[in-house]
Amino acid sequence: MDIKLPHQLLVDYLKTTSTPRDIARALSLCGPTVDRLHQSTVDSVYDIEIITNRIDSVSAFGIAREAAAILPQFELNATLTHNPYELKISSLGKLPQKSPLNFQILDAAILPRLTCIALENVTVKDSPQKTQNILHSSGLRPLNNVIDISNELTLRFGLPVHIFDLDKIPENKLIMRESKKGETITTLDGKKHTLKGGDIVINDANGQLIDLCGIMGGESSMVDENTKNVLLFVPVYEPKRIRHTSLYTQNRSLAAQIYEKGPDPEITIGVLVEGVKLLQERAGGTISSQVFDFYPNPITSKTIKITQTQLDNFIGIELAPHQIETILTDLGFTVTTAKDAYSVKIPSWRDHDINIWPDLVEEIARVYGYFRLPKKLPLVKAVNIDTNPLLNNEMIAKNHLTTLGFTEILTSSLISAADFTHVNLPLKEAVKLQNPLSEDFEYLRTSLIPAILKTISQNQSQSQIKIYELSNVYYPDKKLAQEISTLTLGFKNLDFRTAKGHLEVLLNKLNCPIEFVPLENENEQFVKNQTAQIMIQKKSIGFFGVIKPKITRHFDINDMILAADLNFAFLNEFISHLHTATKIPRYASVFEDINLESNQTVTSLIKKIKAVSPLIINVDYLSSHENKHTFHLEFNDKKGNLTQKQVNQIKAKLLL
Amino acid sequence: MENFASLISTLTEKIAKTKTLEQLEALRVEYLGRAGYLNTYVKTLKKDDLKKLGREINETKNKITQLLEEGIGSIQKSTASQKIDVTIPGTKPKIGHLHLMTQTINEIDDIFKKLGFARRRYPEVETDWYYAEGLNIPKDHPARDDQETFYVSDDTVLTAHTSNGQLREMELVKTPPIKMLNLGKTYRRQADASHNPMFHQFEGLVIDEGINITHLIGVLDFFVKNYFSADREIRLRPHHFQFTEPSFEIDITCDLCHGTGKVEDKRCRVCKAGWLELGGAGMVHPNVLKNGHIDPEKYTGFAFGWGVERVMMMKHHFTDDLRDIYSTNLKFLNQF
Repeated sequence: MDIKLPHQLLVDYLKTTSTPRDIARALSLCGPTVDRLHQSTVDSVYDIEIITNRIDSVSAFGIAREAAAILPQFELNATLTHNPYELKISSLGKLPQKSPLNFQILDAAILPRLTCIALENVTVKDSPQKTQNILHSSGLRPLNNVIDISNELTLRFGLPVHIFDLDKIPENKLIMRESKKGETITTLDGKKHTLKGGDIVINDANGQLIDLCGIMGGESSMVDENTKNVLLFVPVYEPKRIRHTSLYTQNRSLAAQIYEKGPDPEITIGVLVEGVKLLQERAGGTISSQVFDFYPNPITSKTIKITQTQLDNFIGIELAPHQIETILTDLGFTVTTAKDAYSVKIPSWRDHDINIWPDLVEEIARVYGYFRLPKKLPLVKAVNIDTNPLLNNEMIAKNHLTTLGFTEILTSSLISAADFTHVNLPLKEAVKLQNPLSEDFEYLRTSLIPAILKTISQNQSQSQIKIYELSNVYYPDKKLAQEISTLTLGFKNLDFRTAKGHLEVLLNKLNCPIEFVPLENENEQFVKNQTAQIMIQKKSIGFFGVIKPKITRHFDINDMILAADLNFAFLNEFISHLHTATKIPRYASVFEDINLESNQTVTSLIKKIKAVSPLIINVDYLSSHENKHTFHLEFNDKKGNLTQKQVNQIKAKLLL
Repeated sequence: MENFASLISTLTEKIAKTKTLEQLEALRVEYLGRAGYLNTYVKTLKKDDLKKLGREINETKNKITQLLEEGIGSIQKSTASQKIDVTIPGTKPKIGHLHLMTQTINEIDDIFKKLGFARRRYPEVETDWYYAEGLNIPKDHPARDDQETFYVSDDTVLTAHTSNGQLREMELVKTPPIKMLNLGKTYRRQADASHNPMFHQFEGLVIDEGINITHLIGVLDFFVKNYFSADREIRLRPHHFQFTEPSFEIDITCDLCHGTGKVEDKRCRVCKAGWLELGGAGMVHPNVLKNGHIDPEKYTGFAFGWGVERVMMMKHHFTDDLRDIYSTNLKFLNQF
């Protein structure tokens, strides 16, 4: 969360001659990040990022406490002043022997602490200009002196307080409990909430809800211009319930954001004493009760041990004991040094974020300054041999495709239901999101063909297109998903042979012994008579052929589109990088063309030709006219020059 | 044919009429080729005549060769004297294009390969354990960003970070040393100029005896100087992640204002006081090591997780909108 802190508020707690610029820089390096420093002639304002585990710094005092420890590391003077933890109830003087409220709590687990006091004869009017300015600079709206005080206390000490109009609370009776499902409350912003149950609420003697605790006060008990008697209410709530309520009501008030992170219960006394002072000064109120303090389980401070060795090994340099002690003490820790170890007592406001010794290392190292640490490369003798060549093979395939002139596309794994139906893909086989961002991104895709067709469709002005994507497709698999590396190529305006040639070059470079087999069964995406099943060792790894025109027309494409859709994860098992080569023949080859008339497939004819003689070392297919096919043959004998007579003999055999 | 002199003079005339090297080559074949004038004539001679005319035939051959050479020389000279407009645009051959992201992923992978990191790709569809609980983020914790995570079921998500790779790697390798780079697709329920529902992250993890903060700084500094440039510096800011302790945000000096925060006396509009955010890092939290069945008393480690698109946009500055990277406009993609 982010806060705006006016410099003039900070220096109420920090005695220093440092400039706001120095403070901003030092803090960012060693503590809370100052995102921006706004400077004007009137005042400077820090935009500070408060991280979730450091709610103790969400206030002027909290930042001052950090600065008091950090600035000296930059040889800048800084002292912490007006520490609220040093304030005592006794400073309020003799108090009337009356309880401020009639309090009942139904479940102590929801309320770590509550401290409160009543004041009477309060006059509600505008706050002084200085206060209003501070509130404005902090991003809050001044309303009246009483409400402004509750906000100001939050800014100063980081603990939200609530001020009730006591006259609106029958019998001063407050009953704090968990809400039941269906109960309603109208908060002071006018919004009516129907509660889910489990929220922390207060109901009055009539059973009416008067406070949505930790989030926002109720409308019925709020302070207005006629208020005379107030209850200064300083609670600390159980964090999980606050977060739950805040999220589902979508109310992320400053109070909610603070309470859900567990502020320090030990600060309630100090906040109460300061609150009373302000109500006396600005609203003329007088104390009309005792201090009520409900604190069933006070924090017992813990002690964590850390050794010099642990510290030095973890940071990577050696720090001197006096450096360590100074830093920890300045931060509010109590350090006892014995031999090579430090016993560190953890202050209440760090109770839940300092638990183990690495937490102490962080405190020491950050205030010392990470920027002072040297840069070292670790010597790690990890033997990292890739057990799965898939990632490597993907890159090799991509490089070959680049050589072949393809443009790689990269598209979203999440697609819409329409994307499935347009390409005849079954939706029920897909992984579906429970909470998609929109209909467009509802399913994990089971095919890359929609992406290929969409891309071709979006690039109609390109006369010829050769594209591919190599990405995972997803199928449900028990708890998780099968994530299958898939390669899909798309061709526009290339004829069948040319496109197929691209695919053949790729698969040859990967040394995959492939076979193209005519489709036997109907296919949902491809035209049966114009598509081959790609086989390796009798196993299918994908398809190559013409996409059904009905599908391509859906994408406004009228051209014939060829595609190759390959299970790359499976292909990966057959990829080899061992070089194979045939020696260049020693004796000159003889080249002759022949024409064969046959109804068999070209591939089977080539096989037959080669089988006729081992002296036929290469057969190139040229062309066909109906069932007449032309081949260009290369004849060669390793042992010597072939004669024309020998070549003619072999040719005669072929034509039989 | 016995009249070698007329043979020479006819050839000379023909050579004078030639304009191209191909024409000269055709003449060479015509006169000196296997089936050319000279060879055909020589084949008709008897052994005795061949002996008598031998010297003349050789001289003729040499003369023809010389004339052809001169012809070649003169054509080349005249070609060389023609002025070519060297400013005309060349005809560019069409080439293939690797996607920007593939190029960037290669660059990142190469840098970490130099340090001996193993490259991994761990699941995108992940259980809550690997994604959060095992990383020390209990359910209901404020650090959980349930609003921004895609759920497949109550216990299965599309991972929003590559940190699940940390637990997976510890399971795989079992005993340190561990040095891994997990790079893969990540998902978040957000779409605007700086966020795409699908993006990529790379996660580094080093676990061994004696790993400390200076090593984290050393490795990240190595990456930054190799990927961006040698004059860029990093800084660490204290931060909080549930799965690291201490945790840091890593910044890099801004290349527009060279880390000064000012461009010509005006505040640099790109960075914050001379620094740009890169991503998060930290020392692996003991609970995470324990969840990976590694003894935190014996081993320590560091980890970092950064956005691939982010570092690419910070290096190349060709766009401010992350969604451009996923464009399928071929004119755009073919620029890379």
